[in-house]
Amino acid sequence: MAKKMFQVVIAAVLLAMPTGLFAQEELVPQTTIGLGDVGQGSLLFKTDTPGRYVAAPVQSTEVEIAVRGMVVEATVRQRFSNPGDEWLEGVYVFPLPQKAAVHAMRLEIGERVIEGQIKEREEARKVYEHAKEEGRKASLVEQERANVFTTSVANIGPGEEVAVRISYQQVLEYDSGRFELRFPMVVGPRYIPGSPIPTEATTGTGWAFDTDQVEDASRVTPPVFHPDRGAVNPVRLEVSLDAGMPLERLHCPSHAAQIKKTAHGVHRILLNGVPADRDFVLEWTPARGSEPRAAVFTEELDGSFYVLAMLMPPDDRFTESVRLPREVIFVVDTSGSMGGTSIIQARDALMLALDQLAPEDYFNIIEFDSNFTKLYRTSVPAMPAAISDAKQWVAGLRADGGTEMMGPLLAALEDIKEHTPLRQVVFITDGCVANEDALFQAIHQELGRSRLFTIGIGSAPNSHFMERAASFGRGDFTHIGDPSEVSLRMGDFFAKLENPVLADIELQWPDPDAETWPEQVPDLYAGQPVVVTARLGTLHGELVATGVRASESWEARTVLSIGASRAGVNRLWARRKIASIMDQRAHGVPEDEVRPQVVEVALAHNLVSKYTSLVAVDITPTRPVDEEVRAGAVPTHLPAGWKYEKVFGSLPKGGTASRLYLLMALVAVALGVFVRQLRSLL
Amino acid sequence: MISHRLLSVLSALLLATGAVQGVRGGWIHAKARLAQVLLHRSWERTQAGGVEEKPWPWADTWPVARLILPGGREHIVLAGATGRNLAFAPGHLDGSSEPGGDGTCVIAGHRDTHFAHLDSLAKGQAVVLEDAAGRRRIYRVVATVIVDERGTWVITDNDRPTLVLITCWPLDSPLPGGTQRYVVWAEAEDR
Repeated sequence: MAKKMFQVVIAAVLLAMPTGLFAQEELVPQTTIGLGDVGQGSLLFKTDTPGRYVAAPVQSTEVEIAVRGMVVEATVRQRFSNPGDEWLEGVYVFPLPQKAAVHAMRLEIGERVIEGQIKEREEARKVYEHAKEEGRKASLVEQERANVFTTSVANIGPGEEVAVRISYQQVLEYDSGRFELRFPMVVGPRYIPGSPIPTEATTGTGWAFDTDQVEDASRVTPPVFHPDRGAVNPVRLEVSLDAGMPLERLHCPSHAAQIKKTAHGVHRILLNGVPADRDFVLEWTPARGSEPRAAVFTEELDGSFYVLAMLMPPDDRFTESVRLPREVIFVVDTSGSMGGTSIIQARDALMLALDQLAPEDYFNIIEFDSNFTKLYRTSVPAMPAAISDAKQWVAGLRADGGTEMMGPLLAALEDIKEHTPLRQVVFITDGCVANEDALFQAIHQELGRSRLFTIGIGSAPNSHFMERAASFGRGDFTHIGDPSEVSLRMGDFFAKLENPVLADIELQWPDPDAETWPEQVPDLYAGQPVVVTARLGTLHGELVATGVRASESWEARTVLSIGASRAGVNRLWARRKIASIMDQRAHGVPEDEVRPQVVEVALAHNLVSKYTSLVAVDITPTRPVDEEVRAGAVPTHLPAGWKYEKVFGSLPKGGTASRLYLLMALVAVALGVFVRQLRSLL
Repeated sequence: MISHRLLSVLSALLLATGAVQGVRGGWIHAKARLAQVLLHRSWERTQAGGVEEKPWPWADTWPVARLILPGGREHIVLAGATGRNLAFAPGHLDGSSEPGGDGTCVIAGHRDTHFAHLDSLAKGQAVVLEDAAGRRRIYRVVATVIVDERGTWVITDNDRPTLVLITCWPLDSPLPGGTQRYVVWAEAEDR
């Protein structure tokens, strides 16, 4: 009994410490918004000799993006230099746009250039490892996720610099009359289910301090703000934009980029030496009246024609349509990663959405972090009293905890009472989850008549997840990157929710054997174009798209032969084919069946995929066999199956000011004694 | 005369400051040590009862493992590498593999208390981790590295069960809140 009392007393003393002391400790793993770069920032590797360190490869990136019409061609040049005096291996994990078709890699050693070969992943890895052992320079580009890649470079000599140039193509996003080019520079930290990593805001001060820093980081111009990190993987990015139409507006919401207009209506956008801490976003709007109605790009290759076609359905936002009552379930992410400006954006978006509801609608709100809470047990009519009650609840939402998305997802999709003809689930999140495949499968299986919409929040959301989730949910994805954009983006979003969907879209090609990807064009919401790729035997004829909107049929057509000839349309086609095959996994097709199909397409069109990699090997060995590759030991800890899930914002802190206090105590006492001595002398 | 008095006051102030700072600094160390005493008891109960025993009635954490470092230094590890927990004990990073699991298990600790001697761990040395069921696994140190706090690749899954110990770097820095981390990797021995 006495023993127990003793424990309780000690514990009470421990926990009753003034918070001022805790405040000094600052040990909470921070939340990270837009920060948290993977695979970079490794400064030193310890050697076997105590006290001796080897500098890690220094890495910088140059990006050149050329936009012509709807097609984006980009090269990413990653330079690795070795500041130390030992041989090094560089391993760099980086993001690319999720629909990027990565088709070329070149290893540049001084004047020499070695073209990468596409190979099956394991084979490519073997070729690379073999070259590494033999002391030859080699580089390897592997895909870890649809939007996460790894570059490895072996045998960088002392003081040497080696560059890897990666090329990819992509189709531009066009939605609600606005083109968007996005280049991700940072892999946002993600959470394994049940991992409240950057959360536990309980210590208060440490947490708030960090959040302040991050908030600043996203507001202040980066080169000024990161004096200690400015040198870590700086990015130089240049865009040459040939929009092919007069523009009403062109701006870069993510960075203070220089924008210059050159002759012939080409714009140059330049970003110099910024740290890789957020997505680069460039947006432009065609001048009124010059919005594209149709666009066709073609390529002839090996006797086949590849086509990329965009068709804009007539905008009938102005036509009278009956607004159908709907049941809307809002699901809002209040996990730790949403801390800072993200939760504010989420709350604002939710408030605006609540205002859009009509009294005949039903609604409910679910908030989730490690657990989820429903505002109402079941959906309630959107009466003014319920709305104001809900708003109060929303205003009190705070961000902390893990990102356990499966529970709230299933709860939101549970269609208990068919109150209304339409049922819409709106997910407001940064998508920082790792169990993407399981979630996609759940959406696919449990969707029923519901439609799932995602609203992406923050400066570097997991766009791949948001977009695919909305695609499996037969809804749409809206991205809000900045607090000032909330009302604008939500306006586009409501237009999608309110306007009748364009369904049952069918395509007729002049060649009946045309192979179209995606096989089935998804339902389209207001402002969205039909974008398809196909391989066919002839270009003589028309592409006809038909569909039904609010029980009225609709048709759009374009002549194919007028299309602009563009190299690489085959890759865009193949990339979409691969994406469609990969999606079959969510429909329960085992990986063993998916894999050979993907490999076949990827090898034929020279594309990097989950199962194929690009590898380049120098012919002559440069490293003497008796010298070791220093960092060789470290990359073995970068696993073959890189678990992107395990990536957290930053490592936990582990230091207190205890020594500072003791030092101050020592100094103060010494001074005190000294002054005392002085006094007795006087 | 005035200066004499002034010096008395000054000396008293300095000594008082010294005392306060000494208590503040000493308190952090005392807390770290005292907590381990309580935690060892709660760990024994956890192992005996097979349930998560809270070390004190209002704690929101519980011991998840016992970490035994070379030289017999041992620490009870708490669930969650949060600031509050780390004041008492090294913390297991939520979301990393459970102690005894097959993935990468991450444990963070303070450089000035529990993990003060982390840099003395050398390649090949054994680190033992005991889980709540009393199972022990021996890990061998394979590498140590200093990374930026954003170098989160160090805690990704490995193809073998791995233990990652993290603390702030430099180890002897008097100031808190640095951006570098000292990381020790240890891989499970073949069984």
